[in-house]
Amino acid sequence: MRLQRAWYAIRGRAYPRTVGAAREPSWIFYDLALPILGVFAFVFVYRALDAPAQFTSYVIMGGATIAFWMNVMWNMAAQFYWEKHQGNLELYMMAPCGLVPILLGMAWGGMLATTVRAAVVVAVGILLFKAPLAVSSWPLFVLIFTLGLIALYGLGMFFSSLFLLWGREAWHMVSLLQEPVYLVSGFYFPVRALGLWVGMAASIIPITLALDGLRQVMFPSFHPGLLPVRWEVLGLAALAVLFVVLALRMLRFMERLARQEGRLSFRW
Amino acid sequence: MVARALRTVRVGFWLGWQVQSNWTDPFLFFVYSVARPLGGTLILVFMFFVVAGGRRGPMLDFFVVGAALWPTVVWAMQGLAWGLLEDREHFKTIAYIYTAPIPFWAYLVGRGLASAVVAMPATLLTLIAGIALLRVPIILPLDHIPYLVAAFGLGVVGLLAIGMTTVGLLFLISGEAWRLPEAMGQALYLLCGAVFPITVLPGWLEPAARLLPVTYWLEAMRRVFLPADAVRSFPGMGDGPLLGTLLLVTAIWAAIAALAYAAGLTRARQKGILDFSTGY
Repeated sequence: MRLQRAWYAIRGRAYPRTVGAAREPSWIFYDLALPILGVFAFVFVYRALDAPAQFTSYVIMGGATIAFWMNVMWNMAAQFYWEKHQGNLELYMMAPCGLVPILLGMAWGGMLATTVRAAVVVAVGILLFKAPLAVSSWPLFVLIFTLGLIALYGLGMFFSSLFLLWGREAWHMVSLLQEPVYLVSGFYFPVRALGLWVGMAASIIPITLALDGLRQVMFPSFHPGLLPVRWEVLGLAALAVLFVVLALRMLRFMERLARQEGRLSFRW
Repeated sequence: MVARALRTVRVGFWLGWQVQSNWTDPFLFFVYSVARPLGGTLILVFMFFVVAGGRRGPMLDFFVVGAALWPTVVWAMQGLAWGLLEDREHFKTIAYIYTAPIPFWAYLVGRGLASAVVAMPATLLTLIAGIALLRVPIILPLDHIPYLVAAFGLGVVGLLAIGMTTVGLLFLISGEAWRLPEAMGQALYLLCGAVFPITVLPGWLEPAARLLPVTYWLEAMRRVFLPADAVRSFPGMGDGPLLGTLLLVTAIWAAIAALAYAAGLTRARQKGILDFSTGY
């Protein structure tokens, strides 16, 4: 019964986003064509430096990953901020399904645009820039990708709990987690270039290990990995469990705190 | 009319500054305002060093100056757009501001300028870090200052014109409106030679770069700050013609912005969607 309610809630929250994307197809231009140009700027940076072709692949992979990061941060974590403003958050709290299915519905609803964006970045990268993107082990690739996504969405749920208590402060924090995260997670270059210990510290962000692991699977002889792949897989699995458990606890804790302090419907 | 517009710009600037900054204490706000731009610069620096194997070179100087100025580009252009979107979708105050006896465009210009000012610490810090840590040969001879002032002023006008053109589009867009300013910034990042000379662009894309005032502005600023033998986007163009071209392209964009703003606003009013917001 609880699972059924959760499933209805996930479907119900995903519905407006999926339908909205179909009704207003202009997002294809704003959300696909223009952001891709930003990714390609980094391809031209490497071209200006006469870098080997694998660096183009780094950028393409980083650009595709940004789509997931943005979906998690803006369409999931920060979304509670907008829901507060629109008066929906109180309605979510009253619904008999809990906040987690609502968050998963948001993520699921935004996944269409995210997946299309990531796929288009990769496809255009291969077709236009001839980026070498060969996979040496598909099972390992799928495993790293899946664990990375679970950990990432757990992190998104964790961040969303902050919005139960805070407003603009948390919004600005999410806004801050763009270029600095792209830097420390090695979106456009091997994270090993930052040094082992900086890379290890940055591994708390699941994308760091996921990107590095995927690159090791794709360029086994070229990519200077941060850690051996199996260690990175274990690390990702640990992060996935950690963030999902932490997110569930934080959501409960922050909800209680926000209720106690009367800040649940505090809009600014 | 002019006095009223200037007063509105000033008030819009004040309000924009408050919206941008009063959510935290000054120190945290400073950290916030420099962290993203510095992160962007460091990405380029690491990309350079990964390929160059730790050796420095002229492209590094190109990166640092471009990356230092980029926050001003993004924040000035996007500031106008965010101003409209925040008032429409977030604070829901657009109807009250629009119906106030002020020129609405001047209010938005004020909001854009406030954003540009927020970008200044990051620009200065990046240039200083470039000199101190990366040994970028940034110089500012006194006789370059009039050129700097002219180029900077024209550049800001050009950025506001691009921002106002975006606002013209935003009047008519709802669901994806939040993404458009960011997306415009991404497109500019590729086209305007911010982090690589436009000569690297494919031949079919280079003409698009030549249509943007930001391309000429960044080139002019690099000529102010970097030695004559630095990497350039327009190696065959002298400093005077470059400034003249910047003036011409800025004037064209100002005209486009005025038309786009007026057309977007008129159409939004006709359709009754000036204060229309959707979030799903």
